[in-house]
Amino acid sequence: MIAAMLTRFVVPLLLACLSLIGDAAAQEPAFTNRATELKERPAADARTLSPLAGETAVKVLSRQGAWTQVEAGPQRGWVRAFHLRFPSTVESSSGGGVGGSITSIFGFGSKEAPKTSKVATLGIRGLTPEDFKNASPDPAALRKMQSYRADKASAERFAKEAKLAPVAVAYAGNNP
Amino acid sequence: MRAVLAAAALALALPAHAQLDIGRILDLGRKAVEIAPKVQEATKEYSPEEEVALGEGIASGFLGAIRLHPDERLQRYVNRVGRWLASQTERADLPWTFGVIDTDTINAFAMPGGTVVVSHGLVKRLTSESELAGVLAHEIGHVLKKHQLAAIQSDAGWGAAADGAKAVAADQIGRRGGGDVLGLKTRLANAGVDLVKDGLFLRPLDRSMEYEADRIGVVVAARGGYDPYGFVAVLTMLAQVKPDESGASITFSTHPSPADRLAELEKAMPALEQYARQPQVEGRFRQTVGAR
Repeated sequence: MIAAMLTRFVVPLLLACLSLIGDAAAQEPAFTNRATELKERPAADARTLSPLAGETAVKVLSRQGAWTQVEAGPQRGWVRAFHLRFPSTVESSSGGGVGGSITSIFGFGSKEAPKTSKVATLGIRGLTPEDFKNASPDPAALRKMQSYRADKASAERFAKEAKLAPVAVAYAGNNP
Repeated sequence: MRAVLAAAALALALPAHAQLDIGRILDLGRKAVEIAPKVQEATKEYSPEEEVALGEGIASGFLGAIRLHPDERLQRYVNRVGRWLASQTERADLPWTFGVIDTDTINAFAMPGGTVVVSHGLVKRLTSESELAGVLAHEIGHVLKKHQLAAIQSDAGWGAAADGAKAVAADQIGRRGGGDVLGLKTRLANAGVDLVKDGLFLRPLDRSMEYEADRIGVVVAARGGYDPYGFVAVLTMLAQVKPDESGASITFSTHPSPADRLAELEKAMPALEQYARQPQVEGRFRQTVGAR
């Protein structure tokens, strides 16, 4: 009984607290990239707390889907994520070395590619091109990874548990 | 037939013993592309089986450099999310495999044939299953459009290496009356490992491919019943990552920045606005990723 209560109330509460700590730590500066509105809740039909001019400095508190919670002066509210820009983090590291980092297919980085290399993005600590060069194939690790596969049916049950219902959505424009 | 012709071209151009030297297939491929430029073109089409075999070779080499994260519960969780999403696509029947690699940096990779890998550093920076779904769906998008395969084939050395392996193997199949599927797979897997050694993961994909995978990814996430804006939240998070954070050193790239990707993705989102109230699934995500 007590254990059940612990699981039901205390653990989620603890988790919620942890997430609050995480959010509080993430007080990142940002600017509105256009005139927009500060909303009371993360929803288009929520009450507008105040209009925000373009280039308004805000502090990012948390994010939820399309919305970002910010502190704008004395007010707290929600702004559309697309309506914010962040101080450049990529360009500021433009002196960073290229050699020794490996690239990501997920891909991020600045626009300009250095002439000397086709490399980039986020480096993986301790891993260099040499590590890949010297890596021997690891079929055992591959088999292990494949042993974690889910089949269609179990994935479907898993989705139902979270009340995820499949919907028919067409690809946009030039996609098939 | 075309593959056999290509193999014949290889046979003319190269000493017979070189064809059997699997370990040197990459160099072999490079020579072949100089001497017999038609090899690549003639072997352009990969069957799903060949694509999977090549991808497994790449994954095997990749895992030889970066190990899997030891949390099996997390591995199975990510596979369920990924498999559910992949089931909503036109390539639902690929042997989809998802893995979390044990590195604190922020990365995700797609390999031909349906293998997708995300770094633990990325997973732990996410806040909901819909964000994870956004990441996985982006990578699934790369697999759907065969971006990695196209990148391999568009590179003279890599393309010839992979195609050369395929052609030589096809020739063997031809001689044995079509029975040696295993031989073909072995050749392709070996070519995959060589691609990793030769720096496959050192080269980014074309930026238009990233934008395309972004657009596909949000649709696939919405199809799976998730709030497609989870991926918007991920790009927003990436835009705020500091270069020195957790050993992540951001360097120059031919990739678009998260800000550019957000600007591009904004054009596609109005069509998905109606799905913004679909679940984000935060509880299950936190229980699996956060509570440890």
